[in-house]
Amino acid sequence: MESYLLKISGITMKKKFIIGGIILVLAVGYLGFMGFRSSASFYYTVSQILAQGDAISDKTVRVSGEVVPGSVEQKAGDLNLKFDVSEGGKTLPVVYRGAVPDTFQEGNPVVVEGSLDAAGVFQAKSLMVKCPSKYEPTVAAPVTNGIN
Amino acid sequence: MADIGYVSLFIAFVVSLYSAVAYVFSQRKKNLALFASARNGLLLVCGLVTVAVLSLLYSLLTHDFSITYVAEHSNRSLAPAYLIAALWAGGNGSVLFWGWIVTILGAVMALQTRRSGKELMPYTSAVVAVTEAFFAITLITVGNPFVKLGFTPADGAGLNPLLQNPGMLFHPPLLLAGYAGMAIPFAFCVAALINRRAGEEWLNGMRRWALIAWLLLGAGNLLGAWWAYNELNWGGYWGWDPVENSSLMPWLVCTAFLHSALMQRRRGMFKTWSAFLIIFTFTLPFIGIFLERSTQASPNHGFGGDPVQSAVGWFFFWFTLVALFGAFWALFYGKDALKGGTQIEALVSRESTFLLNNVLFGFSTLAVFVGTFLPVILTYINGSQISISAGFFNSVNGPIYLGILLLAGICTTIGWRQASAQNLMRNLLWPAVGALVVGIVLFVVGIRQGYGLVGFIICGFLLLTIIYEWIRGSRARARTQHENVVKAFWGLIMSNRPRYGGLLVHSGIALIAIGVVGSSLFAVTKEVSLKPGDVETLKQYSLVYDRVEQSVVNGKDTLTAVISISADGKPIGQLRPYIREIPKTAIRSTLVDDIWVNMTNPDADGQAVFKMNLNPLVSWMWIGSYVLILGGLLAFWPDLNGERKR
Repeated sequence: MESYLLKISGITMKKKFIIGGIILVLAVGYLGFMGFRSSASFYYTVSQILAQGDAISDKTVRVSGEVVPGSVEQKAGDLNLKFDVSEGGKTLPVVYRGAVPDTFQEGNPVVVEGSLDAAGVFQAKSLMVKCPSKYEPTVAAPVTNGIN
Repeated sequence: MADIGYVSLFIAFVVSLYSAVAYVFSQRKKNLALFASARNGLLLVCGLVTVAVLSLLYSLLTHDFSITYVAEHSNRSLAPAYLIAALWAGGNGSVLFWGWIVTILGAVMALQTRRSGKELMPYTSAVVAVTEAFFAITLITVGNPFVKLGFTPADGAGLNPLLQNPGMLFHPPLLLAGYAGMAIPFAFCVAALINRRAGEEWLNGMRRWALIAWLLLGAGNLLGAWWAYNELNWGGYWGWDPVENSSLMPWLVCTAFLHSALMQRRRGMFKTWSAFLIIFTFTLPFIGIFLERSTQASPNHGFGGDPVQSAVGWFFFWFTLVALFGAFWALFYGKDALKGGTQIEALVSRESTFLLNNVLFGFSTLAVFVGTFLPVILTYINGSQISISAGFFNSVNGPIYLGILLLAGICTTIGWRQASAQNLMRNLLWPAVGALVVGIVLFVVGIRQGYGLVGFIICGFLLLTIIYEWIRGSRARARTQHENVVKAFWGLIMSNRPRYGGLLVHSGIALIAIGVVGSSLFAVTKEVSLKPGDVETLKQYSLVYDRVEQSVVNGKDTLTAVISISADGKPIGQLRPYIREIPKTAIRSTLVDDIWVNMTNPDADGQAVFKMNLNPLVSWMWIGSYVLILGGLLAFWPDLNGERKR
């Protein structure tokens, strides 16, 4: 009789844990799904985004490419930065407003996040420098255009 | 010197293979002489790899630029400390360092005298020897740090100035040592399964190994956060970058393991689950190295398509598969040993809080894993490219971590087995009331952001449960032992160091969480272009850009911005961010908030771009880190008295 009772209570315990587990899985799944919807964006290279045409205008995307040497336009002391990124023989003009990471350099790979406007200019909201390596062997040039 | 290093590694590979085989046969044939020989092999491997490390170090210190690694990661003007740091600054060097720590820990393990678990030693050591053989073969083939350049340049490329920072001296080696340390508990687990003895001796053998590896990894991650915040001109401390994630995941899983191992030790539960956790703790760093070096996953840390590092990454990938395959086979083989044990008796018990804690750590790790690997996997499957930003990780993990903190608080006050509702209520009452008061005070002061308010209330609750527990315990001890309360408190902590060390770790985590909630939900950030004389405000602070100063420091041009800060009109200090080769952030840090200012892109008249952040409560992250490390050490410290008594 006693063992029978134990068994019954064991099953209900198990049920309680299973119900709790299902609620947890659903909650975390919901969090994950909502997080994914708001945080996932398409990640293109320059040639891929240009091949998309108008289909992705005004959508937030990430684009990777190399900063075209000689294309960087930035007045010292100013927040505005213009440059071209290229990849696969294609070139995309980018404008960005904000502090520029100190590893930003012509010829280096970068990732920009933002959207393509009607004029075909990429309006970048964030600029990430894809360091060729965290342990980059060549010393990065200082960003001291002003005093040099 | 390079040849000596290479040959040592080659011999180390052969000897570690011998050791592995000899250990297995010594167990099978019960051959003690063979066991001793295998053990000597393990010690010899440690010596040989040490020789290799020393010869690379010697080459770095003597500027032998004929070696590619030396030429690429150092130069003549590098300070000696960073010449040493160059040892782990590069891809191959970091593999050598990691492998070296494994051999040292393997040797310590082999030399330890043990009271119990001797029968597990042959297979445990064999698994460690196989791991050492993996590092050795990687280092003598694709990841050889002694490759010659073919010519001798006059000077090396040097070390990126961003890496010339005290953080570089400690952050990478701590992480690598943490990864290395996970090899020992993993080996114990596999050996226990093969021996079909998943009982006490397994856990006794590895609890402290897992704890110290966990502590090293945790300290390494926290130091990385500190370094990023103070030196990397970015303003944050954690970016959910794939490389950061791959050092966080093993730490999360190891945290879960430490808790489930405790349950296993105290109550004989969760055996299979513990085995899974330690298997993943060990293998996650390896798969992380693959991700970092052989895929394009990481924008900030990656080795960006370096073919040598990519090949090293693939070696790590195959080793991960071998380790997982071997461990799962052992799990299957030893499954009978994992059966039995007790069941949870009540829904409201310390056991169930541990269970829930483990589930939440599991979910968090899974979320980080999916967010990190999904983009990579999708690229391989159908070429589609997506990227997942930090927002995903924050929105999934935020509630999970608050849940874990809440559980930690409840767990402090709840008893083993079945907690009586009355008892639980009595223990929970004061901390809960205190936390409610904290919430009301914050609300009155003007903190109305719901998520933040809940976060602070939970952190307050956790801290109060721990303080309440200390007070209650000390008073009880003072009564029974007739001591004063201070002495009783000390005696209480020393009487059960694993428990009170653990509680100290929990309070460290609560303090860190206060810093994270404050700085991630209440920060103010501005990016502006200012001329000397301009004023910018951050909440109650005004920042006046007074002037710019030019100077030469150590032969390098330095441009310093002088910024005066006042709070509600009262001057409170100055900040001097400067640019010398790279920008250097200036921070005014108090217990309430940090003012963080960074200057870039100045023109000849001193107009420049400034990034100005007001980050509330960040200091508590660093204070909490110290508390966490202290608690970890307290829990780790050997119980010498206890050992003498036995």
